[in-house]
Amino acid sequence: MAGIIIIKRRIQTAFNVSKTTKAMQMIATSKLKRAQSSAISSRPYVDKLMFLTQTLTNKLDEKDRSDYMKEPKDVSETLLLVFSPDKGLCGGLITNLTKELLNQDKIQKNIRYITVGKKIENTTARLGKEIVASFNFGTTLPIFDMVYPMAKIIDDYFLNKKVGNVKILYSHFLNVFSQSPRVETILPIKLQESKEDKTEESPFTLFEPNPQEILPSLLRHYLEMVLYQYLLESYASEQAARMVAMKSATENAQEIIDYLKLEYNKQRQEEITNEILDIGSGSAAYAYE
Amino acid sequence: MNLTLEIITPEKVVYKNEIDELVAPTVNGQIAILPNHVGLITKIIPGELIIRKANSQQAVAVTGGFLEVAKNHISILADYAIRAEDIEVAKAMEAQKRAEKLMAEKTSEHDFRVAQADLIKAITELRVATKYKRKASRPTEV
Repeated sequence: MAGIIIIKRRIQTAFNVSKTTKAMQMIATSKLKRAQSSAISSRPYVDKLMFLTQTLTNKLDEKDRSDYMKEPKDVSETLLLVFSPDKGLCGGLITNLTKELLNQDKIQKNIRYITVGKKIENTTARLGKEIVASFNFGTTLPIFDMVYPMAKIIDDYFLNKKVGNVKILYSHFLNVFSQSPRVETILPIKLQESKEDKTEESPFTLFEPNPQEILPSLLRHYLEMVLYQYLLESYASEQAARMVAMKSATENAQEIIDYLKLEYNKQRQEEITNEILDIGSGSAAYAYE
Repeated sequence: MNLTLEIITPEKVVYKNEIDELVAPTVNGQIAILPNHVGLITKIIPGELIIRKANSQQAVAVTGGFLEVAKNHISILADYAIRAEDIEVAKAMEAQKRAEKLMAEKTSEHDFRVAQADLIKAITELRVATKYKRKASRPTEV
């Protein structure tokens, strides 16, 4: 009898879990739709903006270049921004980010961190790394205002030559089923090597009114847009990862329920059989007397 | 060689096609870009982009951004852009009124900035839309 009650309780537990995970899956699905569309729709803009600023660096003379484009000499330190979710239960997303973070840490020694998201903040703090600033990621679609304080800190560190370059670690949204951690260098702005073969640009470019007036606002815009784009990508990745993880959790719970139900029925049948046998042998003994 | 134009905003690619001429409002005044224009990078101010192709003309309202010309390819990175025929006048007017009211109340520096940006957007849309509509509704002379 005891066995049956325990199984019944386990079925109830598994059922409760499956209800929770199902609800989380549905929330993630509805959030994902918006996140995905905003992350993907702004991609062409940011790509173009990055390409524009990168090719611009090559076109400018050394003296015209803005501080954003110059690599400071004899400063080896790196500022690494890490974007992670605030909450767990999203499959391997955070583990993968942490792995990449450790990898970066191995490659380069002097890294200072800016963490966005509680999960990575905890990890980084536990590793005893130097955290310059930490932000919350939030659980809704990132708003643009989140970018300003980050850009301000980056400005402070990069323009005052406290760090030699600024990198960013985020989870790139490939599709709903795969997100991968990626590291990109955002400052100093320079042409990526893979694009070097097609630098047959027009030799002469006019700036109106002049580079000194256009560059600061363009580069500032670049920094903010790039940060925001990576925030959106991270957010979409988080929701997609959570949706998939919760879906498989719901399925697993369902499997356990099925198995336990079978076990429950078996034991119940067994008990009934035993009781019948008891009654049968009892009455047989009575008849024998 | 043909001139291609691409207008991209953070929301979507608004326009991508071959064109004959582009007239754009920049910080230094209105400029026209024809095929084989020299490489150029400039800033756009809120106003109206006029796209000419063959015999047709199209208007796009922008609220500022950057314009790049490189080898007969124009890219416009606009903060916000909308084609004249897509502008809903009533909606734009309502937005303008709302922004004006917000600015009059002026709750905080941040809200004020947001309201100001909205107002510029609404005014630009309206200016382009009314101009375009007037032209469209004018009876054709024979």
